[in-house]
Amino acid sequence: MPGTNLIVPVVLWGKHAPTHCISSVYLSRDQKTLVTGCYDGQICIWQVEPETLKMTPRCLLVGHTAPVTCLSRASIIQDNNFIVSSSEAGEMCTWDLVDGKCRESVKLTQVHTNIQAYHMCNSDDLRLFCNGYYAEILIMDPFSLEILFSLSSKMNPDWISALHVLRPSSRKDDVVLAISITGTVKVWSLLGHENKQSEPIYENESKQIRCLNALSLNCCAYNQRTVLIVCAKYCQIYDAGDFSVLCSIQAPSGERWMTGDFLAPDKILVWSTEGKGYLYKLPANSVPDHKGFHGPSVEHDSPTLFSILAHPDNKLLSCPPAMRFILTSVGGKQRRLLLRGDSHGVVSLWNVDDAVAAPQPGETTSHAPIVLTSLEMAWAEMNPSPVGILDQFSHPEEPEMKLTASIYLLAANRLVVGREDGSIVIVNATHTVQLQLLHGNHQQLDDLPLHQLLLGHNGRVNCLLYPHHVHHRYDKAHLVSGGIDFAVCLWDLFSGALLHRFCVHAGEITQLIVPPLNCSPRIQKCICSVASDHSVTLLSLAERKCVTLASRHLFPVVTIKWRPLDDFMVVGCSDGTVYVWQMETGHLDRVLHGMIAEEVLAACDETLDNELGGAITSGTDLQGLANPALHFFRGLRHRNLNAMRAATQRGLAALQATDRSGNAGPLAEPARARRAPLTIQGFRSNPADPESHILFFDIEGLIVELLSEEYSAMSPASLEAAGLITSEYMKVAALTQSASPDAAKRISGILAKMKEGAETMQTKLQAKAEQIKAHLEPKELGVVGVGVVGVGDKYLKMPMKITSLAQW
Amino acid sequence: MNDNEKEEAANLKEEFEWVLREEVHAILHQLHTVLVECAHRFPVPLYGNEGQKQDKFILTSQPEQLKCIVTLTGDSITHADISFKVLRQMHTICRTSINQDGPWKLQQIQDAANHLQQAIGYIDNVDKHYIFRSSEEVLHIIQCLIGSLQRARTALVLPKKKTIDELMKSRNMKALSPNLPEDLAISFYIQSHKLIFVAYQLSSVHGTMRIDSCQADCAVPWLSDVLFMLTAALHMCQQLKDKLCVFSQYKDFTVGSRSASMVLN
Repeated sequence: MPGTNLIVPVVLWGKHAPTHCISSVYLSRDQKTLVTGCYDGQICIWQVEPETLKMTPRCLLVGHTAPVTCLSRASIIQDNNFIVSSSEAGEMCTWDLVDGKCRESVKLTQVHTNIQAYHMCNSDDLRLFCNGYYAEILIMDPFSLEILFSLSSKMNPDWISALHVLRPSSRKDDVVLAISITGTVKVWSLLGHENKQSEPIYENESKQIRCLNALSLNCCAYNQRTVLIVCAKYCQIYDAGDFSVLCSIQAPSGERWMTGDFLAPDKILVWSTEGKGYLYKLPANSVPDHKGFHGPSVEHDSPTLFSILAHPDNKLLSCPPAMRFILTSVGGKQRRLLLRGDSHGVVSLWNVDDAVAAPQPGETTSHAPIVLTSLEMAWAEMNPSPVGILDQFSHPEEPEMKLTASIYLLAANRLVVGREDGSIVIVNATHTVQLQLLHGNHQQLDDLPLHQLLLGHNGRVNCLLYPHHVHHRYDKAHLVSGGIDFAVCLWDLFSGALLHRFCVHAGEITQLIVPPLNCSPRIQKCICSVASDHSVTLLSLAERKCVTLASRHLFPVVTIKWRPLDDFMVVGCSDGTVYVWQMETGHLDRVLHGMIAEEVLAACDETLDNELGGAITSGTDLQGLANPALHFFRGLRHRNLNAMRAATQRGLAALQATDRSGNAGPLAEPARARRAPLTIQGFRSNPADPESHILFFDIEGLIVELLSEEYSAMSPASLEAAGLITSEYMKVAALTQSASPDAAKRISGILAKMKEGAETMQTKLQAKAEQIKAHLEPKELGVVGVGVVGVGDKYLKMPMKITSLAQW
Repeated sequence: MNDNEKEEAANLKEEFEWVLREEVHAILHQLHTVLVECAHRFPVPLYGNEGQKQDKFILTSQPEQLKCIVTLTGDSITHADISFKVLRQMHTICRTSINQDGPWKLQQIQDAANHLQQAIGYIDNVDKHYIFRSSEEVLHIIQCLIGSLQRARTALVLPKKKTIDELMKSRNMKALSPNLPEDLAISFYIQSHKLIFVAYQLSSVHGTMRIDSCQADCAVPWLSDVLFMLTAALHMCQQLKDKLCVFSQYKDFTVGSRSASMVLN
């Protein structure tokens, strides 16, 4: 049963840091936690030392399927360790920063572009004020992720492009100041008792100004009289009283403004798409305390640039960096910082207070960041560097061969790894894991460990498939691989011979899938391959030829579903088009768009769910329905909670019971009713990255295995003499239950979380870089057998492989 | 690498540089033309397209179940005469209307227009003389473009599903004059190139809620043009992306030989 045992994941990251093209940044007020979200959807949590600001990556949160656009704190309480993230696909998650768990998640039809966390009057904690690709302002609860109420517009309703919530000094209520993309400034007053049932809340005032597509709007915190509105080409100071322009600052040539804020009544900080911060002193007519306020702009008195925050090297970026102005307080000391995360995954921090202090008239100073770090730098700093699963094959002098695909053959305990140069290495999994995790004499061995090498691909191996794992109708010896050389290769696992090379695609192979069980006998012998030229083929392993080539797709293939009884293969493309192909004849039955396309895809799910109902209860052939991760993502995409739940369950179940069908062959070990003590899963955050690997140690399975091996060596008499027969069960029970009440509590907590894993829709992957280091110490290794509690808090809810197909 | 492979790699590199230098700008320009043309088909002020166009449509369903005469101004239905037969009571005809004071806003049109505007903005942000130095730079722009175009298209093709409760409470429903009885609701939405009108009737059968509906639709000519151009633009983006991905396997390809002064305008 999924969720009842303890699985300890250990990540072998390999020598390359994951790609992390940063799309959003966040630094906690106490300067202890940095969070970076990236375009691939992962979120990295960094531990920050508040004094030195040294940043160490701590874990990677996986779950979002699109760029992470907003990050926000969830509570006003300083040491409350929760954040909220929102992605371009409309997914929102609340994460626990301590254990990296996703506490709550929703998928909205409204996609946010900006979130301001604000403590409203009459509410006990923060509320999230969200705006985005919709015409309202949504106010959400950060923990339940429910929409509490929304603000609507009467005058020119349109998308809100920026908003600022504040409490005017003279009043008790909160004021929302916002600007629509067509330039209507609106003001809402909130009393704090608004709710979903109340009548639509319309703006109290609105005014049309000449300002299209504003990027940010900030009211001056010092006097609440001036407002800074930033647009790409210029930023402007407005008088909050009548919204007239006081002054305007053009963006530097070749750059566009992104956002800005006030540093003082007469000083502003704006930053540009090149990742530079600019500090300006405002002219007298824009400073409320000045007698010339609101007067006409004077020729000799214009905004003056007095300080620039920039990187000294000015490295080329592939996209505008994510930047944020941050107020922190550590030990009673307030600090103002500008945080930046760029496309190379570099995080930098400027001390704004340094730059503001005493500007010389007529002088422009330039400031370099006080902290500069990145995942790559963190990787480089580690000694020894993070281990990869096949490190024993790389020589220190040679550049490391990148691992590009992998599958774990559980029954044979073998790990098959495809590499960048086209070779496929097959090794004993336990042996190779031992080599990476245990220090010992065996590492001094000069010759390479026993392995099998399959040579046939010309260039990177993209994907691997062992069809027998999925269903026993396939030959046990058959291994299939797809490469960058457009070829799909069929191998004999035992002899290592290349049986056949299918050359039917016109692009690199991206995915290999197994068709469902109830297809026609001919299709049952086939596997399905997907290529980057948007073609899909059914390749018969028995006939050694291509049965169907489906290649009319204009856009990348994102889903493949089946109607086996109708002999249909249903191919969904990234533009929402659906192609229905007859499998046997290769005839394109029809092409669908829009609503009908969605319905046809959903209908495939229904038939699938019906079949699945049986599959889950019987617990056999769980993977016969393609990759659970795929289904999970599909579920996510179609907001189908049941499908997601089913997929998650299958994912967990599949991991734990990977193949019972394969138990009876020469590849299989002697049949014993037990769980797999170890499974290995490849993982990558970006399609261009080499693979990292996650090892899942099933502690219970391990204990059972170890004990049964020990006893099988003992005679019944000696067992009895040792008094083991009756007491042993208690011993095992004590181990799994744990002795101390505190530990028991922790374990049961973890078990509860594991159960939740099957129910919550988000996957979470927690992996500590230091953890790997820790596991390199030999004394820690005793852990694997017994010390359940020591590593118990590093759990994983639903490990899944994010395939390129699902991720497109 | 043998000589042939070296030559091939050198040629590919040259081709790659050409794509970045010439082809990307040419395609972006083409895309810009297509998208601006698309923007001009919208009946709302958008990218230099002035004024609100007005269209009149008649929606009827056989056999005389419902009839609806609609005036679409910009993204809102500014006037409509609606009449439909109530199912349970065979001879009752329900009449209502939309007038200038409470127009029925088709949010889908505004959403699509805004997404399109955003897409054009991504192209406008690229200086014509800018020299791209890596495929990542271009891929990022293309990815943004595809995202916006996809959302624009989806806004029109896949109307957001609303619950009957949301519909009843919507601002649009409240603007009807006269107001509909509590067990009736109507909805206007866009699906692909069609404007669709649906009348819902709630009834309670043995304690369970039942919803009956009847609908009518009509083709909106400018919507087909818009969808066609959005699809064409998406396809152009995808082709450029595929083209660049061919080179992505040669990670060491960068346009590095140029001097910095040339790069910055």
